Amino acid sequence: MTEYYGATVVDIFDTMPKRFKPEEAKDVDILIGYEATGEGGGMWTAHIKHGTLTVSKVNELKGCKTTIHAHAETFLGVTLGKITAIDALTSQKLRVVGDIRFLMTLLPKVFVPFTVIPKKKVLKARDILVTMESLFRPERAEGVTMNVGYDLTGPDCCQWSLQIKDGKCKVREGFAEELTVKLTMNASVYTGMMTGTIDGASAFTSGQVKIEGDMMAAVATARYFHKYTDPDAKEAEELICLRVTNSIEQRFASGPVMGKWFAGLREKKFLGNKCPECSRTQIPPREICAICRIRVNEFVELGPKGTVTNYDIVYFASPDPLTGAVRDTPYAPIYIVLDGSSEREAFAFELKKEDISRINVGARVRPVWTENPVGSFKDVLYFELDQ
Amino acid sequence: MTEDKRNCFVLEGKMALPNQYFAGRLGSRFIIALRDKKKITGIRCKKCNKTFIPPREYCEQCWTNISENWVDLGREGELINYTVIRYGDRHLPRKAPYILGQILLKGADTPLTHIVEGVDPKDVRVGMKLKAVFAEKPTNTILDLDHFEPV
Repeated sequence: MTEYYGATVVDIFDTMPKRFKPEEAKDVDILIGYEATGEGGGMWTAHIKHGTLTVSKVNELKGCKTTIHAHAETFLGVTLGKITAIDALTSQKLRVVGDIRFLMTLLPKVFVPFTVIPKKKVLKARDILVTMESLFRPERAEGVTMNVGYDLTGPDCCQWSLQIKDGKCKVREGFAEELTVKLTMNASVYTGMMTGTIDGASAFTSGQVKIEGDMMAAVATARYFHKYTDPDAKEAEELICLRVTNSIEQRFASGPVMGKWFAGLREKKFLGNKCPECSRTQIPPREICAICRIRVNEFVELGPKGTVTNYDIVYFASPDPLTGAVRDTPYAPIYIVLDGSSEREAFAFELKKEDISRINVGARVRPVWTENPVGSFKDVLYFELDQ
Repeated sequence: MTEDKRNCFVLEGKMALPNQYFAGRLGSRFIIALRDKKKITGIRCKKCNKTFIPPREYCEQCWTNISENWVDLGREGELINYTVIRYGDRHLPRKAPYILGQILLKGADTPLTHIVEGVDPKDVRVGMKLKAVFAEKPTNTILDLDHFEPV
């Protein structure tokens, strides 16, 4: 869409309903036609009737009491007050068919003037990287030699290197030959970190940044540069918002009985145990039968296939408790009764993403294993539909 | 009897908890003044003749919106109350024991609670004259004003 004065003709009509003042147009009944010619033009009608407004894009101005014709540029100029309506009318750039005086008193009364909303320039990683040489602080980097590689992913993906040597800093596209450290992250995470909206340490602990090589060098890099300031950001009021990701390390000791379950996973087997009194199976195995309160010593292999008894489809991006990384949504934990288990002794596991749309209660599922199971929850990648 | 530990597994987990704290419009301006200009600012209610720190949008006495009446406060003040933190914890800003004081700055009518350093916990007294020490590295928190110490 062609822009004039920082806006398009479409913007005028899109914002019309918002700018309309119904209380001022109670006694008005008029159909106004607009024709903007040239690039970015088009035809619209605005129907004001007893305090309501209908704006439509049309192919032909039919039945209009008054019509306005101008080039798209003139149209925007007049609407924004860059060109006075009288000038445009006398120079024939703006043509009005119908009661011009009525229109010129009506429009300012029933509409809030159109203004251009300043567009927020999206800062790109490249915009920051090209300024890094000028932000370098040689006095802090004495005797430092290192090459930092940035592998930026996402829609603005690019690869850059910062080379610090002999009190000088060079920035170039692509990777240097010997990288001291390589940082992999989304380009938007990089711009966020450089402008201070994302905390570097949090981004790392939450898995948004991957560091390969000398971790200390990566941490020290910030010291060698002045803080980047976005030249366009100064007009805006700075607001402080702190984002911190607290990371809690957790350990779980299985003990020898539940440990059988993990030992089984290592051999791609599901091991439950079976109560000698009620014959109920337990997954994962417990030392004591939860119902009979007696010691359970018999282990039985269950599955590997099973039947789905229930499932959840989760759209909330909660963190994965094993890694701390935010999960991809949607994901679906399914409740599976493995073949050979007692009724109602279901256990939950994640379903293959591609199967989410086809899951239903009663479906048959089978596990998909990693190549080298080690005795952890991750030995089963997911369950998939058994068809 | 020795225990059979063959089937004992230890599983590692990690719980990441993303948190977000917005300082607010006034809070941001207050912290930015500390960070960039090394100035302690408060907000004054002209009607009640009271200056509040930390800044607040409404006067607590007359409920007037006072959010635009910013005033610069002095860097020095008087200790009007204190406590000594004697237990250490990871989330605390200093290693215990340290002093948390209420400091009435010159020109303010409400005290600011902050860390007092440079004086032993057994020598700290109400009425001490203190001065502000600013942080070298910006943190975008109240700790851009690092601590207070005796004049």
